[in-house]
Amino acid sequence: MSKSPLSINLCGIEFKNPIITASGTFGYGIEYSRFIDINKLGGISVKGISLKETSGNKMPRIMETNAGMLNAIGLQNVGVEKFIKEKLPILKKYDTKIIVNFWGKSVEEYVEVAKILDNENVDMLEMNISCPNIKEGGIAFGTDPKMTYTVVYETKKAIKNKPLIVKLSPNVTDIKIFGKMAQEAGADAISAINTLLGMAINIETKKPYISNITGGLSGPAIKPVAIRMVYELFKTVDIPIIGIGGIMNYKDVIEFYLAGAKAVQIGTANFVNPEISLKIIDDLEKYMADKNIENITDFTGKVEI
Amino acid sequence: MKGKVVSNTKLNDKYYLMEIECEEFVNKAKPGHFMMVKAQQYDYLYDPLLRRPFGVCDIERGRFKILYVLIGKGTNLLSQIKINSTIEFSEPLGNTFKYNGGKKVAMVGGGVGIAPLLFLARYLKNQGTEIDLYYGGKTEDDILMIDEFKKYCSHIIVTTENGKVGQKGIVTEPLQKNILQYDKIYACGPKKMLEATTKIAVENKIPIEVSLDERMACGMGACLGCLIYLKNDNGEIEQKRCCVEGPVFDGSKIVWSNQ
Ligand SMILES: Cc1cc2nc3c(=O)[nH]c(=O)nc-3n(C[C@H](O)[C@H](O)[C@H](O)COP(=O)(O)OP(=O)(O)OC[C@H]3O[C@@H](n4cnc5c(N)ncnc54)[C@H](O)[C@@H]3O)c2cc1C
Ligand SMILES: Cc1cc2nc3c(=O)[nH]c(=O)nc-3n(C[C@H](O)[C@H](O)[C@H](O)COP(=O)(O)O)c2cc1C
Ligand code: FES
Repeated sequence: MSKSPLSINLCGIEFKNPIITASGTFGYGIEYSRFIDINKLGGISVKGISLKETSGNKMPRIMETNAGMLNAIGLQNVGVEKFIKEKLPILKKYDTKIIVNFWGKSVEEYVEVAKILDNENVDMLEMNISCPNIKEGGIAFGTDPKMTYTVVYETKKAIKNKPLIVKLSPNVTDIKIFGKMAQEAGADAISAINTLLGMAINIETKKPYISNITGGLSGPAIKPVAIRMVYELFKTVDIPIIGIGGIMNYKDVIEFYLAGAKAVQIGTANFVNPEISLKIIDDLEKYMADKNIENITDFTGKVEI
Repeated sequence: MKGKVVSNTKLNDKYYLMEIECEEFVNKAKPGHFMMVKAQQYDYLYDPLLRRPFGVCDIERGRFKILYVLIGKGTNLLSQIKINSTIEFSEPLGNTFKYNGGKKVAMVGGGVGIAPLLFLARYLKNQGTEIDLYYGGKTEDDILMIDEFKKYCSHIIVTTENGKVGQKGIVTEPLQKNILQYDKIYACGPKKMLEATTKIAVENKIPIEVSLDERMACGMGACLGCLIYLKNDNGEIEQKRCCVEGPVFDGSKIVWSNQ
């Protein structure tokens, strides 16, 4: 049998298709197993893991906005130890690639978590650098080029086995600088974008809808921003780019490919329809066959300017 | 899941009752369950984006009912859905009301919080339980489906804040007077009402289950957007997901100040 048009190789890892569920929107994978066949997914990026269990922000944490939603979950997670003991063994039963999204409050914490995960039975690591650096006055690692470089460099140095994806924050004036920093610091791939900082106010109570005041905007509303950023990154870096942001259907996936993506992640759409990732895979298969395309990566970066 | 809208009736300026045909859903639904409903019927429209949570109001002969109140985009769109059209929704989600063989129970409903209590009443009556319903609303418009409840309840005590129907006042007042008759309390409605009801139940050492509302994105335990805070036996505060570990909780464990 010839190679499937949807199979891709990402940093040496073979994915049966390029559809990966995005961190924070698919729990630890297990939550959805009751509703869909996880084995069909290309991969799963699990909810961001940290060194210690984290309880997250106060309620309310979410609010729907026009064609999108705001969230300020606060990176709630079970901690790396519990993740490995309780979640990973269940997740490993499925035939899909496991990407572990992780974060820290200091460079040391990032390094520590990455070192632990480097020796576990997972496929790739994905650094979320949209987190505040407690030691540097709470500025997000992903919004200061020097801090981005340092945290990626130190983490990459500490791990031996797993490819490292760096997930960029879109809350910067020039994403290209951050892509370049991540690449120079040793990142094996880039994923973009994380959520855009936003806010919504209830005009009756005059209070923000979310207790954290601001939250991360996701969903179809952010897709044009994400497409633009993937396009800019593709022109800047040589490492593969995983496109994320507002994908709702197979056409959106193709659009991300044209902008420069080699794989994609599906986030908020999973909430709207838990079967959506599987539907996108089916639709892409049909599309590839209809158009007689050998491999989906033939589209990567093929936007005509 | 998908189903056919059999009826979508305007009950008054605020409330609608939708009846949906779906054998598969009905076979799985238990009192307390809710479902996430897609408020519009087009796959290519992304606004409103998220599905809306609604309690299972009742089931009968392959059909289930949703009693809903008009709030914003989602519920207004639902109210526009035509009979015979197809609507999408999740399977029954969440936990269920527990039944511990009580002989006589009180149900306390406020406003649209009455919705899941009808299904529960049908079920408990079948188990041979005697039910009194305490039903509170702001105005007469909030008092609905009394004839349905009459089939299952021995007494129905209605209160409205404007006094146009039933007793003038709030529903916890009559409940307070009769509380010692009951083996268990089931409640659903506004948080203030649930907190007050829980206080009365706890003071009188009567078990109470309440069904809570939280904004939900996924409804399946993945987003962690719908937390409820409970106090465990060691006095520690635990976070529970309203959509998986709830929406029904032991009222006496809820940390009301955090909700
Ligand atoms: C478990 C559960 C069961 C429910 N059962 C019923 C029912 O049987 N009948 C009924 O009328 N309502 C019920 N609700 C409340 C119902 O979900 C909201 O009224 C509805 O989502 C409002 O949507 P909207 O688009 O009209 O309002 P908008 O204000 O435009 O909605 C904006 C966002 O906030 C959310 N939201 C707004 N109000 C609520 C609320 N009270 N609870 C949760 N999310 C909210 C919406 O889902 C949406 O994501 C239930 C809620 C939960 C959590
Ligand atoms: C509720 C929620 C939780 C999220 N949690 C994380 C997280 O823990 N780590 C992370 O890197 N991204 C997180 N994200 C961002 C998503 O992975 C994704 O980058 C973003 O939502 C944009 O994609 P989308 O528009 O398809 O949702 C979260 C998003 C949402 C909506
Ligand atoms: S609504 Fe997503 S976890 Fe409850």
